[in-house]
Amino acid sequence: MQVVFEQVINGLTIGSFYALIALGYSMVYGVLKLINFAHGDFFTLGSYVGYTILVWVSGLTVVHFGLWGLIVIAMFVAALAVALTGLAVERVAYRPIYPTGRLPAVVSALGASIFIQNAIMVVWGPRFQAYPSKLIPNIKFVLGGVNITLLQILILLMSFILMAVLYVVIQKTTFGAAVRASALDRETASLMGINFKKVIFFIFFLGPALGAMAGVMVGMYYRQISFTMGWNYGLKAFTATILGGIGNLPGAMFGGLILGVLEMLGAAYISAAWKDVFVFLILILVLIFRPNGLFGERVAEKV
Amino acid sequence: MKRAFIMTVGILCSLLMFSPALAASGPVVIALQGPITGPWAYEGDMAKKACETAADLINKKGGVMGGRLVEVRVFDDAGEPKQGALAATKVVGQKDIAAAVSTYGSSICEPASNIYEKFKKVNIGYGVTAVRLTKRGFKYFFRTCGRDDSQGKFFADSVPAKFKARRIAIMHDNTAFGKGLAEDTKQALAAMLAKGDVTVVYYDAITPGEKDFRVPLTKLRESKPDVWYYTGYYAEAALLLTQARDIGIVCPFVGGNAAINDEFVKIAGIDVAKGCFMTNEPLPADLPYPEAKEFLKAYKDKYGDIPSSPWPIYAADAVNIIAYAIDKTKSTDSTVLAEYLRKNVNGVPGITGPIGFTDQGDREGVPFYLYVVNDKGQIVISR
Repeated sequence: MQVVFEQVINGLTIGSFYALIALGYSMVYGVLKLINFAHGDFFTLGSYVGYTILVWVSGLTVVHFGLWGLIVIAMFVAALAVALTGLAVERVAYRPIYPTGRLPAVVSALGASIFIQNAIMVVWGPRFQAYPSKLIPNIKFVLGGVNITLLQILILLMSFILMAVLYVVIQKTTFGAAVRASALDRETASLMGINFKKVIFFIFFLGPALGAMAGVMVGMYYRQISFTMGWNYGLKAFTATILGGIGNLPGAMFGGLILGVLEMLGAAYISAAWKDVFVFLILILVLIFRPNGLFGERVAEKV
Repeated sequence: MKRAFIMTVGILCSLLMFSPALAASGPVVIALQGPITGPWAYEGDMAKKACETAADLINKKGGVMGGRLVEVRVFDDAGEPKQGALAATKVVGQKDIAAAVSTYGSSICEPASNIYEKFKKVNIGYGVTAVRLTKRGFKYFFRTCGRDDSQGKFFADSVPAKFKARRIAIMHDNTAFGKGLAEDTKQALAAMLAKGDVTVVYYDAITPGEKDFRVPLTKLRESKPDVWYYTGYYAEAALLLTQARDIGIVCPFVGGNAAINDEFVKIAGIDVAKGCFMTNEPLPADLPYPEAKEFLKAYKDKYGDIPSSPWPIYAADAVNIIAYAIDKTKSTDSTVLAEYLRKNVNGVPGITGPIGFTDQGDREGVPFYLYVVNDKGQIVISR
């Protein structure tokens, strides 16, 4: 039984990475109906920027801010840098082709993805990079035979806080209402005086920032990062988005967590080699029986 | 206008006159096919440096065939079987290449050597240890490194005794190399298994390229092994070890000869990596031969440090033995070279000791040692 709990904890940890990345997918899709394939690479970029801060400038900053301060700074800078990249990508790769329809934009997103991935390879090199090993004290808790590390607890805490903050912003603030209104019906929202450009700015700032923070956390968790890792995480997060219902933010969060746990349990009790098959089988089943996802909103077709 | 025409003709004539002479005194080209990019780029980079250093040393001593220089031409296979076949196709397409040093990784070597065999080009593997590679009856394939079964046998002879281990876990990564070594190890343990001295309590594979191994590791932990042998590569080994310690696996970790190098120590961190063992060919610094000392000095002078894994020097020795065969046979024809390497090369002094090949193309006599990561993160012979 303890093994089950342990796998659930492990699953929640990777699930929270998927959830944070999935939020970015979902927000962009909700408002623009665009599948932003470059999103997985925003995540990788965040991981590398965080790595650079932690490794290269650690000597300077650790003196002034301490180790925890350094981690916070790394996450903040990574989030900011990637958010700016997100805005730049939106400006260069998406905005000029919105009027041509949805398909060209998806192709452009794929192009942006390849571009970012290769840029990371050129800047940081094709080798694996390793996060510093003594970042977080390696403390282990054994609760009734279940192993949990301090790092896992921190990651879970951090991601839940981030998700809660985003939830409050989207659901409880005026600005969040504007985003939701734009997602529902862009033209009517514009007629009601909502500044659609500001909404796009907001989602392309926040989505990549969340992805970047997930990137830094993945770096700290596995300590080994590579420039190609964004594709895999992007695909899983996209699956999580669909699982939860695309465009639905709480859906994306739960979709990610559910996917992580399913993946771990599937690997543990069916076969580790077949875990991706298992994950995508669940996705297919959900799409057959609940085409709008587990928490899907009913999408009214425009007439 | 007229003058220009005359000059052009003159230049063309002189080029024509010189070109046969140029061809005869031009460099002898040896190809290096290796993982210059991709997950094993680190190994590929060192192999490139090692081959170039070997060529430099040969050239400083006057080259081959009375003064022709040796040139190493590099082809990237990115550590992928498909790219390996493509790289080999490129090599055989370039007619001035005498022979190839190819490559790191048994599963990449396998398709590549098929192509070399088809186009009759000598190819010498330097980091390819799967037993079956030389069981195909190929005429042009050789290797300067050892085979997995000798490593598996070394594990069975020394490791259980050293750790007084009765419960052994063997984990591989489903690659040609990893699975081969795991199987050979199990076979080498057969006698002890039959007597009941040891049991293999865990025997399974992980998926390379993954980042999360907590699930297979939990199974491994539940099997309560006394010692754990991982026969895959360092990228996964480092992640495996870190996660294993996280979930409470404390038994000694023994890696195969691809599991531990400087990158492993860097990714796992010294705290986790120290005390890890590996079965390995002797590392460059531990080689007693004068050729090794000379080579390592030249390498260090040029690149600042000696190679951190054993494989690059096997690549260098492959260059050396090709150059040796070219010099002795006065030929760059691969069929002549293959015949000579098989029949006449025996005990030729090399960086990794005397070089000789068996009839099927295996290197004769490669020793193994048990290495350990010490407190400073260095990989040293375990006493």
